[in-house]
Amino acid sequence: MDSLKLILCAVAAASLDICALVLILAAYHERNTGNKRWNRMTSFMELADYNTSYPLGCDEILIGRHASADIRLPDLSVSRYHAMLTISNGIWTITDIGSKSGVFVNGNLVKQTQLRENDMITLGNRRLIFRRRSDVNVR
Amino acid sequence: MSGNKCSYIFSAIFVLLAHAGMLLNVFLNGNYSDLSDVIVLAGAVIGLDLVYFIIMPFFKQSTFTIDFLLLLVLNMSVIFQSCFGGVHLSLKHYITCITALIACRAGYLLCRNHKWLQMQKKYFYIGIGVLMLVIVTLTGSRSMWIYLGPITLQPSEFIKPLFVLACATSITEQQKKHKILCFHVVYENFALMGITAAICLLQWWCRDLGSLPTFIGIYACGFLLRICYPKAKFSKKKLIGAGIILLAVAVICMKFAPAYVQERLHADIWNDINGNGYQQAQALIGIANGGWFGKGPGYGFLHNVFAHENDIVFATISEEWGLLYALMMVLAILIIVMLPLINPPRSYFHSTMAAGVCAAFTVQMALNIFGSCNMIPFTGVTIPFISSGGSSLMTSGFMTGMLVASQSPVFKPPKPHKKLSSFNLRRQKA
Repeated sequence: MDSLKLILCAVAAASLDICALVLILAAYHERNTGNKRWNRMTSFMELADYNTSYPLGCDEILIGRHASADIRLPDLSVSRYHAMLTISNGIWTITDIGSKSGVFVNGNLVKQTQLRENDMITLGNRRLIFRRRSDVNVR
Repeated sequence: MSGNKCSYIFSAIFVLLAHAGMLLNVFLNGNYSDLSDVIVLAGAVIGLDLVYFIIMPFFKQSTFTIDFLLLLVLNMSVIFQSCFGGVHLSLKHYITCITALIACRAGYLLCRNHKWLQMQKKYFYIGIGVLMLVIVTLTGSRSMWIYLGPITLQPSEFIKPLFVLACATSITEQQKKHKILCFHVVYENFALMGITAAICLLQWWCRDLGSLPTFIGIYACGFLLRICYPKAKFSKKKLIGAGIILLAVAVICMKFAPAYVQERLHADIWNDINGNGYQQAQALIGIANGGWFGKGPGYGFLHNVFAHENDIVFATISEEWGLLYALMMVLAILIIVMLPLINPPRSYFHSTMAAGVCAAFTVQMALNIFGSCNMIPFTGVTIPFISSGGSSLMTSGFMTGMLVASQSPVFKPPKPHKKLSSFNLRRQKA
């Protein structure tokens, strides 16, 4: 194979390289737009403690004391697996998954209920507010 | 279009450029007697690209990167397969690639809504059962193929997506524990373990041991993700115990494997170059002959070797196109596999599904490439998207659709099965 053909072959291979690189960059771009879309779908909601806020990043979020919980509340009054937050059709729901101290929303003991903005959730001694996402103090 | 238009157009242009570069290589370096062969091939590849670019926006997806990569890899395979032994459009492979693209769309539409899929769980098990019955009754104990005139089907390939879906649907059942004596067990896990054992036995019976690691890889991914699932508790001791048992079973199986497996496990290809080691020896010679830039499309020798277009396709591509192209092909498939890491799914179901699909693709690719290079025993497993074979390509297309679905999911409750009567509606309102 002469050198010209070799160069053309290398150029053709380079076009594949560049294409792969562009598609990886497109994937990163899609991730950013995907995050925005997810925030819109979840109505920009988050759970907030008195000094920490917890973004709601997937459709099932476990709240509990255990290390594997998505939102970990290191407090003995909170069960290891205390409550589950789920989203369906843009509506967040909280479900008690067999906790000892129960789940209170705005002071009412609930097994399962839909959440609205500024609802106060009490799990053991911990209080969380379900509020619109703010960009400050995001964990 | 749900995604970004600018990004879409740029990606489409670069996919077209990549294919144009390969076609230019065929035109300048290829082995063809008539220019019309190259023109037909170029028309088919670029035409498929353009049609897919036009059709894709009609599907309301939020991500398109996997689709672009799928199209890139499938048309690469059309060009590779059309050049083996001389340039001419491989019409059969081209049609199969179109079928794979349609299967991808079907996989995307079926797997978007995991809550709906959860309700269809029993059909996955029924489907696997029916396919296993088909294998037992129609393929015979020493084969894995069904011959329907000019078409041959490999039913075990179709089990793979159903098995991935069965693994994924089992994840949300982890909290439904039942007490038997003093043990808390999840029925779903037993069902899945039973199905896995049955598939392994069937593969053994069919002498299709090459597919076994793929199924085990899918099951291992599902198993690990079940452990990671927040509500599931599984101690490290049990995990280590399960690993030791699996290792022991693997060692025992290798020790007491049938004679034909032992031959492959202990084959010395250079001492048996005209016998059991023929394919691997020729494959290694082909890779060495090809070098970085290959001998030129259509100028290779490996097209004379049995199963050059599927079992040793990596070597055939390396010989004609060079190791650089072959590695680029591997990279493109690896990017498909890695995309769920860049843009992670938003639900545990879709995460498990994506992990299962990626495990299947990675294991298959590793078995084929390392087998061709004599690093592991030769298995005869296909490389997804690249090797010829309708069943394999359709399954790979469908599984890619599952990956697309995990990137563009729908979080809506499924529609109720039965329509409420007016009486029930009035009662509900009351």
